Amino acid sequence: MDSFIPLLVIVPIFCAILLNLCHGKDKLVKLLALIFGITLPITPIFVNYGNHFFGGYSPLFLNSSWATNLPSTITNSILFNFHPAITYVFGGMQQIFIFILGILTFFVIFTSLNESKRASGVYTFLIFMGTAAVTAVFLTDDIFHLYIFFEISVMTQVGIILCSNIQRKHETALKYMFLSNIAAPMLLLGIGLLLGLTGNVNISDIIIAIKTGVVTPDNPVLLMAAALILFGWLYGSGLPPFHSIKSAMYSKATPHAAAILQVFTVFIFVSLGIVIIRIFAFISLLRWIIMIISALAMILGISMAITQHDFKRMIGYLAVGELGYVGLGLAIGTIQSITACLFQAVNEILLTGLLFIGVGTILYKTGTTDTNKLGGMLTENPFVAFIFLLTGFAMAGVPPFNAFQSKLLLIQSALNAGFPELGVLMIILSIVTFMTFVKVFYTVYLKPQPENMKIINKKIPQVTVISMVLLLIVCIMLGLFPNIVTNAFSQFAMGLL
Amino acid sequence: MISVQLASLLTSGMLIIIGLFAALFLDNIFKKIIGISFITEGVNLFIVTLGYKSDGVVPIFLPGMVKDVFVQNSAYPLPAAMVLTSIVIGASTLAVMLALVIILYQKHGTLSASKLLMDDEEMEAGE
Amino acid sequence: MIVYLLMLIIILGSIITLFQRNLLKAAIISGIPGAALALLYQYLLAPDVALTQAIIGTAILPVFLALTVYKTVRMEA
Repeated sequence: MDSFIPLLVIVPIFCAILLNLCHGKDKLVKLLALIFGITLPITPIFVNYGNHFFGGYSPLFLNSSWATNLPSTITNSILFNFHPAITYVFGGMQQIFIFILGILTFFVIFTSLNESKRASGVYTFLIFMGTAAVTAVFLTDDIFHLYIFFEISVMTQVGIILCSNIQRKHETALKYMFLSNIAAPMLLLGIGLLLGLTGNVNISDIIIAIKTGVVTPDNPVLLMAAALILFGWLYGSGLPPFHSIKSAMYSKATPHAAAILQVFTVFIFVSLGIVIIRIFAFISLLRWIIMIISALAMILGISMAITQHDFKRMIGYLAVGELGYVGLGLAIGTIQSITACLFQAVNEILLTGLLFIGVGTILYKTGTTDTNKLGGMLTENPFVAFIFLLTGFAMAGVPPFNAFQSKLLLIQSALNAGFPELGVLMIILSIVTFMTFVKVFYTVYLKPQPENMKIINKKIPQVTVISMVLLLIVCIMLGLFPNIVTNAFSQFAMGLL
Repeated sequence: MISVQLASLLTSGMLIIIGLFAALFLDNIFKKIIGISFITEGVNLFIVTLGYKSDGVVPIFLPGMVKDVFVQNSAYPLPAAMVLTSIVIGASTLAVMLALVIILYQKHGTLSASKLLMDDEEMEAGE
Repeated sequence: MIVYLLMLIIILGSIITLFQRNLLKAAIISGIPGAALALLYQYLLAPDVALTQAIIGTAILPVFLALTVYKTVRMEA
């Protein structure tokens, strides 16, 4: 049923509000959070593909019986294709992404509830609310609706880092809010310019208006709107010049929270990036800019990751660097490259989440993430170390894992589209990623143990290990059978161009 | 005399520029936040101005109005509906930021942005 | 004519707000461009926006700002 599509957003919001009301009753919050967490990956499986028009106002071309008595000025003009309602589009691509989001949110809630004695209703509220917000950003075809949920997701991200007990979190939160309140009005201004040009905020309608010549494509105002929306995109996804604030956000959150924050970031990156490519694909300058910024993000993110000595910050920078791959795929703009970039986005969500949860086990045992104070963890917990090593291999693109398939596809598409330089760059940077990872692994697990290192908790909770193993199994599955997702993605990419 | 719409667009541009100036160049964090509220108000004014029609009527269909005349003269209601949400979002983000400012003042005893919002790297170098 | 006057009040009011050294004064004066903006929305044929802006721009935001000033420091250093 198409009419179940809004449930994808309504269910998390409902769960969030209920959990917030239960704050203070620890056992109830734990129980409800687990039950609601399971619904997140299940809902997208049972919702059918289709479009949902809020209020039931479908466009005339889908419902030609409504158009029989209308004057020809409406039926023969662009108004015939006009979308009068806020539209949610749900297809195979959206299903996979929301399913992955659900899995990761569930594991994050599961592990974080297990590791902390007290369950905070507010914290779970923020996680569910953020999930709802990014789901709406992903589904919507209405650019102003996207802006609203973009703002909500920013607020929840700030709230999530305020829930940690790490030093100087308030400063980072204020700085992030500050930049958000400069970047988000710029995004809104860009949306306003598009509204002024086309009289509409529906993305499909804007595209029709540009393609049918209602708005001339070389209109300078359109270029201005593109620049402003691009600015909002760069901020929302933490590409340079915003990469250091984004990785600071990750380092100020607890590891589970960081895992969920990077999922939100990737979702906003992919959905706004697709919007930009859909509307402004004809501006070749814009595609060059996206390409340069993505390459810069890769180089800056990965090279800054090597120099860090805080482990969480290191992975934060790696996450920013990996986003560069996705951006390059978008900028190349062929069907193959967009398929590859969506696949890479899914892999990045899974692998970075897994790495952050892995960091969580070390923080849980030792109480520190400073690599200078760590060492010799291999003897403490060899199994977790093994999973961590496999994750690192996967991130660098070693064969049986998922990132190998997506990076291979990305490099092939770069070669096919006539950008061999980008292919070379990607290969070099994935070697550097691997090097960074080996360095982390050495300093944490292999290096002799410093004398002043204390072990706070002896045993890592079983739940954390189980969720890491399950996530790794998902990664291997995607690596062995990439067709599960790439078919849906290439179909989406074909519809896009 | 320039038209109302053009003057209003200029006003919104001025508000955005004043706000950006305050947010980027003033050191007091309180003034920065006031500047940010001006940016939001400027953008809102810009979007409302898009729907304006000179000699138009308010887009509310009251009993007794002639339909065709109303359709010809009414302003475009979509921007106004958008701005309603945007104003509320602006107010709520401002409230969160002010709350953070109060916490930071209790911690550091200053409102100077250059002292409050130092980078972590700079902090470590200073210590 | 009154529309242009309102626009002038908005711009001048916002500049004057930023020049105040007394932060409480700045908080209260920031209500003036807010109120002028609300009236301007009425002239721009958006009465619903005008109502919201009248409440938020002239009452809620200045009160929030003034409360922050009471909790922190009165004069700009």
